[in-house]
Amino acid sequence: MKWSKQGKIFDPTEHVLPNNCREFAQSPQTLVMSDRVRVYFSTRVRDSIGKYLSHVAFVDFDKNMQNIIGVSKHTVIELGGLGCFDEHGIFPINVVRDGDRVLAYTTGWNRKVSVSVDASIGLAISHDDGFTFQKYGNGPIMTSSLNEPFLIGDAFVALYEEIYHMWYIYGTKWKKFVKSDPPDRVYKIAHATSDDGINWHRDGRQIIADRLNADECQALPTVFHRDGTYHMYFCYRQAHGFRKQSNNAYRIGYAYSNDLINWERDDSKAGIDVSEDGWDSQMQCYPHTFQADGKDYMLYNGNEFGRFGFGLAVLDE
Amino acid sequence: MFKWEKLGKIFDPRDYKNESWMQEFAQSPSVLIYEKHVRVYLCSRPAPTPDGQYLSFLSYIDLDRENLLKIVNICKERILSLGGYGTFDEFGTYPISVIRDQDEVRVYYAGWTRCESVPFNAAIGLAISHDNGVSFTRLGEGPVLSYSPDEPFLLGSPRIRKYGEKWYLWYVSGKEWLKTDSKPEPVYKIRMASSDDGINWVKFGKDLIEDKLGEYECQACPDVIFRDGKYHMFFSYRLSHNYKSKEGGYRIGYASSVDMIHWNRRDEMAGMSVSESGWDSEMVNYPHVFTLDGETYMLYQGNEMGRAGIGLARLVSPQDWCCI
Repeated sequence: MKWSKQGKIFDPTEHVLPNNCREFAQSPQTLVMSDRVRVYFSTRVRDSIGKYLSHVAFVDFDKNMQNIIGVSKHTVIELGGLGCFDEHGIFPINVVRDGDRVLAYTTGWNRKVSVSVDASIGLAISHDDGFTFQKYGNGPIMTSSLNEPFLIGDAFVALYEEIYHMWYIYGTKWKKFVKSDPPDRVYKIAHATSDDGINWHRDGRQIIADRLNADECQALPTVFHRDGTYHMYFCYRQAHGFRKQSNNAYRIGYAYSNDLINWERDDSKAGIDVSEDGWDSQMQCYPHTFQADGKDYMLYNGNEFGRFGFGLAVLDE
Repeated sequence: MFKWEKLGKIFDPRDYKNESWMQEFAQSPSVLIYEKHVRVYLCSRPAPTPDGQYLSFLSYIDLDRENLLKIVNICKERILSLGGYGTFDEFGTYPISVIRDQDEVRVYYAGWTRCESVPFNAAIGLAISHDNGVSFTRLGEGPVLSYSPDEPFLLGSPRIRKYGEKWYLWYVSGKEWLKTDSKPEPVYKIRMASSDDGINWVKFGKDLIEDKLGEYECQACPDVIFRDGKYHMFFSYRLSHNYKSKEGGYRIGYASSVDMIHWNRRDEMAGMSVSESGWDSEMVNYPHVFTLDGETYMLYQGNEMGRAGIGLARLVSPQDWCCI
C-alpha cells in the first residue's frame, strides 16, 4: 500500500460548531452520499466543572473531497442522561448505511472515580439520511463482560455476505506505571458478528498481535475489502507517556486477512507514517478508510489527538 | 396470609468485633445447608476507609442445624477479594446469592463501582468455590450480567435458582437517576433472566412486579421459592426518597406466579412487618426464605439497611402454599 497525503482538510477552530464546541475534530468517519461525503467527528466543549464533553458533529465535502459544502449547526445525537454510559461524551461514531436507515455505533463515555472513565458501545438510528440520530435505548448494546471487563469502544461495522461484522476494542487492564500518576489503560482489538446489527456474538480474543509489548494499546480499527483481501488499519501506542512524547504516541498500523478470522499484522506495509514536520509529525491516529467515486481514501488525525483537525490521504496503489 | 414467628436477631457483627474482620453490617443473607450446620452467607463491612466510604465483602456465619439460634463458627477472613482498578466490583460485593451445583458452590453478587455524576453503578458477577464454600474465585474480571439498551445501569440484587436443568436469575435493573437536593437517587425494578449454564444469560426484558408506591418505587431482593405448584417471591420495596427513615424504609412484599413471567402482587400476604421496638422496628428487608428439616424460615435484615444485623423468623402457617 502507498498513501499519498493530501494534508489537513478540516480545522475545527475555523468553523462555528454545534453545542458550543471549539476544538477537536476527532476520529473522522464517513457516510458517502450521492452528492457529497458526510464526515462525522467528535468535538469538545468544557462543562460546568471544566472537564470535556465530546459531541458529534459533521462536515459535508463534495465528492472529490476538495471543497467543504457545510458544517452541522444542530445536535446530531444527544448525550445520555444522568448515570447513562454516554453521559459525558460520544467518541467516536461509526455510521453504516442499512437499507433506508443509517445505523450509528457510538462509543459512550462515563466518568469514574478510581479510574478516569469507562466506555461502552451504543446504537443509534437515523431515518433522515444521517442528519440526526435517535438512540436505541438508554443503555449500550455492547459493554463489559466476563473476560472484557471495561472500556468497550471504537466499533467499526461492515456487512459481508449478510453478516454484520464489528471490530472494536476492549480494555484488559488499568495499570499504574508511576506511583504518583493515575493508572493508564491498556486495550486491544477484537471482533464480533451479528445477524441483526443489534445482538452481537463476540469471538472473545485479541485478533491483532502486539508489536510494541504486552501493554501496547490498539485502537480504532477500520476495515475494507479489495482484490480478495481484507485490509485493516488501526492505531497503536505505548500505554504510558503517550501524550507528550512522540516516540510513545499513536502510529498507524496495518494487518490483512483472507478469511476475516486470522489477521497478519505487518505495519511496514501500512504505507503511511508521521511527517517530518507539521500537523501530523508527532502523532497519527484514528484512521478511517472509505471509497468515493472509485478512489480509496483515508481520513486520520494528527498531533494532539486531533485537537486542530483531520487530514486526508489517497491510495496510490 | 403468611404467619411468621419472629425468633429474634441472630447475628450482629458489632457483637463480635474482636473475633472476626467484620465491624458493622450483616446484609443480604443467603443460606447453604450442610450436614451439621447451616451456613448463612452475608455481606459485611470493615471500618470505613479514611475518606469515610465503605467497602462491602462476602462473609458467612455457621448456625447449628439443630438450633439455628446458635452460632457455631464465624468467618475469620474475607472469602472473596474485590476487583482491580476500573473493574465493576472494585468497591464492594453486595447483595449476594449462593447456590450449590454438583461439587462447586457459586455466588452471584452485585459488584460496585464509583462514578462521578452519580455515586455508584453496579453489575452482576459470578465467583466459584471448589472447597465447599469456604473461599471463592471470580470467574472473570468482568460481570456475567451487565447493561443493555433497556437496562442502562444498576444491575443488582441477584437471586440465583436452578429448576431442572435451567438456571434463573432474578435481579433488579436501574430505570432512572432522580436529581435531588443532595446526591442523585436511583429507581430500580425487578427483572429476570434465564440460562443453560448460569454464565450466558438471556434477559426476559420486562419489569415483573407492578408498582405499588408509584413509578418511583424501588424494588429489590426478589427471593423466589417454588412450593406446592407455584413460584412465590418475597421482595423488598421502598420509596426513592426518605428511605432511611421508618416511614419510607424498606418493607417486605409478596407476589406469586405459576409461570415465572406473570406475577400477582399481594403484599398484604407477606405477613412480615416491623416490630414495635428493637433491632427491626424501622426496617425489615432483604428476605431470604428457605426450608430445613420440615420447617420454613425467613432470614432478613433490620434497621439501617442491616447495620443492626440479621434475624430469623419461622413460618407458623400455612404449610400448604397452593391456595395462597
